[in-house]
Formats: sequence, C-alpha cells, structure tokens
Amino acid sequence: MSQHIPSSATVYSALLRADLTVQWRNRRASLLVILVPTVILISWKGLIEKFGGAFVLSNCMTVNLIAIGLMGYTNAIARDRDKGIFQRLRVAPTSAWSIMLSRLTVQLLMIVLNTTILFLVGYNLDHIAMTPGGYAFGYLTAILGGAVYLSLGQTIVGLIKNPETVNVATRLVYFIFIMTGMFGELGMLGKEIQAAVKWSPYGTVNRIVSHSLVPATWDHDSTIALLATIGYTLLFTLLGIRWFKWNSR
Amino acid sequence: MDNQNSMAVLQVEGLNVYYGAVQAVRNVSFTVQAGEIFGLLGPNGAGKTSTLSAVEGLLRPQSGIIKVAGYSIREQSKEARASMGVQLQATSFQPELTISEIIQLYAGIYGVSLTKDRIADILADIKLQDAGSKRYGQLSGGQQQRVSLLIATVHNPRLVLLDEPTTGLDPQSRRQLWERMEAMREKGHGLLLTTHSMEEAEAICDRIAIIDHGQIIAIDSPQVLIDLNRDKPEVISASRKGKITLEDVFIGLTGSAVRT
Repeated sequence: MSQHIPSSATVYSALLRADLTVQWRNRRASLLVILVPTVILISWKGLIEKFGGAFVLSNCMTVNLIAIGLMGYTNAIARDRDKGIFQRLRVAPTSAWSIMLSRLTVQLLMIVLNTTILFLVGYNLDHIAMTPGGYAFGYLTAILGGAVYLSLGQTIVGLIKNPETVNVATRLVYFIFIMTGMFGELGMLGKEIQAAVKWSPYGTVNRIVSHSLVPATWDHDSTIALLATIGYTLLFTLLGIRWFKWNSR
Repeated sequence: MDNQNSMAVLQVEGLNVYYGAVQAVRNVSFTVQAGEIFGLLGPNGAGKTSTLSAVEGLLRPQSGIIKVAGYSIREQSKEARASMGVQLQATSFQPELTISEIIQLYAGIYGVSLTKDRIADILADIKLQDAGSKRYGQLSGGQQQRVSLLIATVHNPRLVLLDEPTTGLDPQSRRQLWERMEAMREKGHGLLLTTHSMEEAEAICDRIAIIDHGQIIAIDSPQVLIDLNRDKPEVISASRKGKITLEDVFIGLTGSAVRT
C-alpha cells in the first residue's frame, strides 16, 4: 500500500491559512506595531519642509520594518517553539522550509499593508506625495529592508532560547535601533555615531527606502547601501539558520 | 523474522543515539505489528523519549534502521511521517486557533479534505460536538487528549505514536482513552505507547519492552514477563501485596532507586 503524500503547495496553503488566521486574531498587537511609526509620521510633519517628505516617510517606514521583524515575527517564533508547536508540525510530512515560508509570507503581507497605511497617512495628513514609480520602488525596498530585520530576528531567536529573554532582547534592540538610528542620523549624537548609523542596518535600510521614494535621487551611494542591506540579510540569515533550534528544551 | 517484518508497521533495528559523548540509546531493536499495542516502558532518563524522537524523525540517530510502514525515516522521510500519527507529550497548538481550525490545518497538512460538516461529525464521534469553536486551552485535560488523538489519526495512519497519553487524566477519561486505543487496534493500526503507568501497560498492551540505561532489558507480553520473572529475588522483594504485578517486575529489573 503506497502512502498518500500531500503536495508542497497543499501543505503550504494549509499552513498559510492557519498563520493568517493567527495574525488576524492578533490584530491588536499588529495595530500597536503600526501605531509608533504613524505617530512619528504625524508628529514629524514640521520636519518635512527642512528634510523633505521622503526623509520623514522613510524613517517611519524603517521603524515599521524594525517593529515587524523584531517584535512580531521573532516573538511569535520564540513562543511557538517554546510551546512545542513547531515540533508538532515537524512530525507531520511538512518540510522546515514550508513552515518558515508560510510565516515569512504573513510578515511580507504585513510589510505591504503597513507600508500602504504609512503612504496613505503621509499623503492625507502630511501631504507627502510621490510619483507612482516612487511608490512602487518604495514597496520593493520596504520588502528588501524588511528582510534585514526578519533575518536579524531569526538570529536573535537562534541565539536565545527562552521566549521571555527573546522578548526583552528584541525590545531592547528595537529601542536602540530607533533612538540611535533616528537621532544619530540627524547628527544629534555626534559625528562618529552619525557615521556609524549611516552604515548600520538602520542607516542602509533608511537610505535605500528614502532614495527609492524619489527614484531620481538614487545614486552610487544608494547602490552601495542596497548591497550592504543585502549583505546584512545574508549574514543574519546564515547565522539565524545555523543557530536556530526547533526545540527550546 | 522476515515474515514478522512484512507485517510490521514499525521496525527499529540496532538504534544508537548519542548526545555528545553520552550514549542515550544502545543498540535498540523492536517491531510493532499491525493491530498491536506495543508499550515502551522505562524509568526517567532510560532512553524512551530519545527512541521515540528518533522514530518521529525529530532526532537523527548515529546508527540504526527505522522503518515506518516499510518507509525509511531517513531516506523516505515524508512517506514515513505521512504513515504515522503522533501525539507528543507536550503537544500544543496555536492558542489563537479554534479546534475546528486546528483539525483543518492538520487535515490539510496530511492532504485530507474535510468539510465543515465532516469536522462536526468527527467531533461528535469523540463527544466534543460543541468544542469546534473553542480554543484548545479552553478544553479540559481529557478533552485535549481526545482532540490530540483525533488530530494524530485524522489521516488514518498505519502507526500511531502516543507519548504518555493518559498522564494527568482522571480514571474516567483514562478508561475512555484506553477504549479508543483498543478500537484503533481493532481497525488494524499499530500503536507504540510510552507510559509510566504499569496498570495501563498491563491493561492494554499486547507486548511491552522495558528499556533501561538506553538498552532493552526485557520484551514480551505483560503476562509472560510476569511469569518469567516472578521467582527472581529482586522482583519478590519489590512485591508489596504478595501477588507479583508488572510493576514489581519493572522495579525488580530496573532497580528501586529514584531516577531524575
């Protein structure tokens, strides 16, 4: 008697349906994720004249990407691993990649949704208008930038097994990234910090998002920032996969 | 042996598992036949969970052969995993999902198509017709075990692995679960069960293996194990009521020291 093996697409679709339902049921937490960048976007209205709409919008988009990658994805992975949810899935005929791909697809959708919200808030409340090409390019770089923080989250959850410690660590990293990123980039923390922030994951993501929103400003420096972003993603992904354990015990 | 293996839904041969320099499982071999409940008994840290984890494919053994319904867990991993249903000791499901959604998820993973009406029917079969819209955490321990067993068998697997399924259940729920296991045996499923309850092993297992320090030290039907060991001084000294029970044999063979 041969055993029926479900196709990868069938397994993926079952996982995705469940993960989307979980995301929907956690919509209050998702609202909190988008709340911080939205508040910054509205409160920074006065800076648009000085630094430009793309600068303000890209900072808020970067904060959103950090929140999705570090707070949402990472803590969900840490919790599910600790509760044995992954182990239960792995004894079924599922591949590790289909479990993770489904999770990442949901985060990708969150990035697109939140980016859209920021575009709408920016347009309606701050009167930040981009060209259609700028918006399209903005979505693309938001996804690329999001990959950095998702992979950084994967590294954190690979390094730390306890979900409570993961929660604390991600909040700390989130806070450090936002504070040093936003204020450091403006030069408020000194020139050395400003230079370090420029090539940090915050700075490179912020730069590619900012320049993509106004494609005419894309230059050699943006391309180097893009390569650095891809480099960070590859590095964190490698470490995250290497260190990750499916079981927290 | 070949004839026996052809009927086997699980074949484990020469299994060795190491954690670093520590050997947790030593040359373990056994088979589980179709229509048989096979119990794996042992004190804490004896190697039961490591053996079970290797069978489930969660742990890669250093050597040995594991075949589920004829499929190698290493080379034909998907086929082997699709042929077994697993109830883990610490099973948990996403707390945000309802029971119906969890059943739908696992049915989808195993490629089983279930309509909402069909899900309602199978929940009614386990007397949980009102539980479809509840969350897993809202169910009692007995109800959780019933749902967990339902999910483990949603794809009608040839082998069912149950890791201490009755731990923490009241006598009524435990009896009910035993009846379900026996019903699965009647349908031709092979069941591999780990338990610390000697009463349970004696009541429902057709054969048991006692594992200690990573090795199988005895394997047979509960009654044969009692008969073979009833005259051993260490078994007699373990006896508390004059009548030799499986628990006396177990303590006699594995020692009375408490394992951590």
